Amino acid sequence: MRRLALVALLLVGACADRDAPSPITRVAEPADAIDQDLMVALAQAKNFHHKAKVYTSDGNTAAAIAAVRQILSLRFPPSAPEAEDVRDDARALLAKLLVGQGQLDEAMRTVEEGLAASTRDSFFVANLHTVAGEIHEARAAQLETGDGRVTTERRAAIGEYDKSIQINEALQKRLMDER
Amino acid sequence: MAHSDNHDGEDFLSGPVPLPDDEPTAAELAHARAFASLVDRALAGRAPAAMSADDGGGLPHAGSGAEWRRGSIDRALVEAATVIRAATGGLELPAARKSSLVEAALRQAIGEPPVVTAARIAPVVALSSRRRWLPWSIAATSTAIAAAAIVALWVRAPRPVPPMPTAAAAVPASWTSRPSDALIGPIAREHAGDASARIDTIFADRLDGYRERTYAHGGRP
Repeated sequence: MRRLALVALLLVGACADRDAPSPITRVAEPADAIDQDLMVALAQAKNFHHKAKVYTSDGNTAAAIAAVRQILSLRFPPSAPEAEDVRDDARALLAKLLVGQGQLDEAMRTVEEGLAASTRDSFFVANLHTVAGEIHEARAAQLETGDGRVTTERRAAIGEYDKSIQINEALQKRLMDER
Repeated sequence: MAHSDNHDGEDFLSGPVPLPDDEPTAAELAHARAFASLVDRALAGRAPAAMSADDGGGLPHAGSGAEWRRGSIDRALVEAATVIRAATGGLELPAARKSSLVEAALRQAIGEPPVVTAARIAPVVALSSRRRWLPWSIAATSTAIAAAAIVALWVRAPRPVPPMPTAAAAVPASWTSRPSDALIGPIAREHAGDASARIDTIFADRLDGYRERTYAHGGRP
């Protein structure tokens, strides 16, 4: 009989727990709302850019390059558009620093990686094409006058600038239409 | 014989105390034999139904006042002998009494109402029956109440409400993660390497949106 009473009490307790108020509605939030993770990643990218700027002003380009590379390894929230923008911009800066170091192939590889990883056209992608044009220009400058590759590099630079211009124009038009 | 014969025919209790070596008188011997016979019959279960103060159970007495005192003494002695014998466990109940008690116990064991055959047993059996059924009655009542409470809770409990389908609230664009093109605009060639300035702009803009959203939720993101 005691066991039966105990079972009855447990059942009553279970029913009471089931009656505990539970949230039925919740405030709907868009999945792409700015959250703390995004702000942390942006803040870290900001700090690494400032470090690179200080190193660059001190003439320590290698340290600046290392600082910018760390931006590429930051973890952003998945599908955050800012992540792609920040990485593209970091690659553009990295490529320019590499160009300043004479590492044109590494600079071009950095730009190509950025273009390959981009999922949409943006002003940052256009900027990467601009930097790619500068790299081609730098290559052409390194070649001696009369070298047939000079023309090729210059044409390639023009081609990259054209792509940048096209992307910028298309984006500006789209943004104007959205307003 | 140290004491006189005037002990015969009068109460020896009120007479002088005989010396230890004195021979018993005829009256003392007759009284002793009668008392011994009375004790024997009491121990054998054949004691007289009642011994009055003036009845010594057949003991020879002399005089009415002396008889009354001797009868009282004899009755007390016989009762003492009976108690001593009962205390030693030598008493046995009569067969009819034994069978009556056994039958009452068996009826109680199988739950049948006892048959009242003796005035002494009837109230005891009735009280035992109540004591036997009282815990079961309380337990059954408690169980019934608990079952009723469970049923009531089960019936009255609100059905689990499935979460209402919620659509994403229309929040300001500044609260959302989004491309930075509208914020940054076209990047001129001479500013291609100014990523530091752009990240500052992006961070400041997103921080504003994050703060607005946080404050709109009462300080909880």
